[in-house]
Amino acid sequence: MLPPITKRRFLRLAGLSISNRILAQNPNPARGIPNPEPRTPNKVILVTFGGGVRYSETFAPEGLHNIPRLVALRPESHFFANCVNSGVLSHFNSTASIVTGNWQRVDDFGFQPPAGPTLFEQFRKQTGAGPLDAWTVATNKSFAQMGAGSDRGLGAPYGANVVLPKQLLLEAVQDVVKKPAAGGVADRDTVLERLESVLAEGYEGVGWTIFKGGRQLDRHVRETLTRGLIEYINGPEAPTSGDELTFFITREIMREFAPRLILVNFWDMDVAHWGSYSLYLNAITKTDRLTGMLWDEVEANPAYRGRTTMLVLPELGRDGDRNAANGFLNHRSGDPSCRNMWLLAMGAGVPRGETDRPVHHIDVAATAAALLGVKPGEMAGTPMRELLL
Amino acid sequence: MSTAPKIPDTLPRSFSAFVSDQMKDWPLLFPAEQSYFQRLFALIERTQPVLFASLGEIETKMAFPKALAPIEAVDFLNRNPYYSQWRAAVAEIFAKLDPVLDSEIARSGHARLVVVVSPAQLPADPSRMWLRIENRGKRIPLEPSDNFLSDLNPSSLAHQFAVHSKHGGPYSAWAIEVGQALSPANPSPLVHYSYESLQPYRHRLMREVQRIVESQTVPGPRQLSDRLKKLQILASEGAVAQDPILAEFARAILLSGNGTLLVNNTFVEWATMQAVRRARPSVAVIGFGIRNKVKPFSSLLIYQDQDATNPIPSQQDVLGSYVDLEVFYQYVWQEFEKYAEFRTNTAYVFCCDGMDEMLVIAPPDCPLLESKPPLKLSAVHSALQEWLGI
Repeated sequence: MLPPITKRRFLRLAGLSISNRILAQNPNPARGIPNPEPRTPNKVILVTFGGGVRYSETFAPEGLHNIPRLVALRPESHFFANCVNSGVLSHFNSTASIVTGNWQRVDDFGFQPPAGPTLFEQFRKQTGAGPLDAWTVATNKSFAQMGAGSDRGLGAPYGANVVLPKQLLLEAVQDVVKKPAAGGVADRDTVLERLESVLAEGYEGVGWTIFKGGRQLDRHVRETLTRGLIEYINGPEAPTSGDELTFFITREIMREFAPRLILVNFWDMDVAHWGSYSLYLNAITKTDRLTGMLWDEVEANPAYRGRTTMLVLPELGRDGDRNAANGFLNHRSGDPSCRNMWLLAMGAGVPRGETDRPVHHIDVAATAAALLGVKPGEMAGTPMRELLL
Repeated sequence: MSTAPKIPDTLPRSFSAFVSDQMKDWPLLFPAEQSYFQRLFALIERTQPVLFASLGEIETKMAFPKALAPIEAVDFLNRNPYYSQWRAAVAEIFAKLDPVLDSEIARSGHARLVVVVSPAQLPADPSRMWLRIENRGKRIPLEPSDNFLSDLNPSSLAHQFAVHSKHGGPYSAWAIEVGQALSPANPSPLVHYSYESLQPYRHRLMREVQRIVESQTVPGPRQLSDRLKKLQILASEGAVAQDPILAEFARAILLSGNGTLLVNNTFVEWATMQAVRRARPSVAVIGFGIRNKVKPFSSLLIYQDQDATNPIPSQQDVLGSYVDLEVFYQYVWQEFEKYAEFRTNTAYVFCCDGMDEMLVIAPPDCPLLESKPPLKLSAVHSALQEWLGI
């Protein structure tokens, strides 16, 4: 008799299946050789408060109560009080600037990859890291192309695995709505049935978008994935938002594959566009909690403890209350409330302290590159010297 | 009927493109908008071309294309490295034009009124209300009333203004609300938008948008914008369908405002902001409500009717609504105060159904400020009548 499927077991099974397939087919698509030992053992996790959040609801005195976990982590961290997004104030371009080290001006709906190489590709090419060593887990669907840039010499063969967990759920929920059952989307059994059918039709485009080697799910992996999701949906931590699923998947990836470079893009706070300040505040607090839980995982996981630097920052801000656009609902004005953020760095080798000098979103990739022992190439950003002592 | 002013060929292309787009449906503009553009171009005609020189130079650096639809122009500008400079140049132009236009408005100013009514269910006592703007005005105690809205009767004030004031007439008085408590009792020139009353139109729009998105037949935002413009309100879906200007306003509010299809108070706030920007009403009565709690999976089903897709009964989020509205009071007040029509001659009354205190922000000569508290609501009504001269 098979042991009961737990969330943990599901991803282990699913992950190992995928991993085996990838490794069997193409041990290292970059060089055709197995993954070498890393030059440095450092790991980097980039966490973005995606969707955008203002200083006033986070590290401004009046906002501290919204982010109790980050506030508690700050004394052990290095706080950059003036992290500036000088680029295009849209979601894809902001995050693409973070992962490339260059201000991005590409299509913002995910129809174009980031211009030039991403940190993921440079990391994998220069270190020989394997395909399971770089991941992007994002709630926003338009981030499907965030894992690799347009550089012809690099690109997808060296890119990160991009996982869009929310899309899997979305497809299932939408399917339930299209084919109304007695309970609508409140009926979890119906949701699960649809999830199963979504997976049966192929998961490409809805969830895992692991590069070519992993795209064709065999029956065993598909069944395992389905069973795991069923278990997850029915479990006590059943997700009510995309970010909770994003956290869950990220944690399981860390436990299963222990990648050295991860981008986690939370997204719930973009609910601000709906015009409810209270929902926006709730989302900020949820992201704070999930970020704290991610750090707990770093501390608890032997593969990460003592060798991981986590950089947390908002991808952009939102319009100020005095702005003509409509305050927190938007991020189009370009005023200081949109551009001036913070960055919290914690973990291995990070000196405690605070820095007021301006740093920029494009400095994140350069800093991560330095921490990973990677040459930054043509990044316009520069490493944050405070973290590289 | 007035006609759209001619845009001089000498203006920078980005400036012309945006102004041209705003004026292209001239018959669907409110009189206040038409008046603004006529005054703007009359002023530009009297202004030295040097005013636009720096904007022209930045356009050259940007390589701003000759022919670009407005939505594409926005995309072009947003992604251009010179965007910040472009914004600064535009701001500089209006910093010189606006004072002149504002002074014209100020010379013909008259008393105006804004009444913002909050729902009775808010879980806050008066001392926790209107906190972001309380230092702008005066808290005035009220005598208790079992029929708060009937006694205050703000819709009647708006109706009377539209009918009897020399500044009244079409589009001069508005009521925007979540429910229907502010509906005019009889046929009235009062402009009235209700989130609840617009439900058939809202649901049709959600279905249509969902269908368009799912069909994946719309290649880009420009085409999507064109498709959405065809989704006009039907006569069976609301009285505003009878007036082309108000019908288009309803469509624009529901399809271009963030969350207006989904959240009742967001609809009220955004409709108010747009009414202020476009119609500059002399009297505005704004009725907020309680929004429902967000159901599980709602964030995944943006364009679905939550009541239809989820059988869990809707629950009111009174605390969340309180938090939401505290921000909206500020945004609404600020929006009015951005325009010369309202500065120095507008009385703002922030009240809550059943609450024995209100906040009044008004010029010193507003009779409401001189009345001896606690005030009966009928006395508030009378004082506001006096203020409006009706």
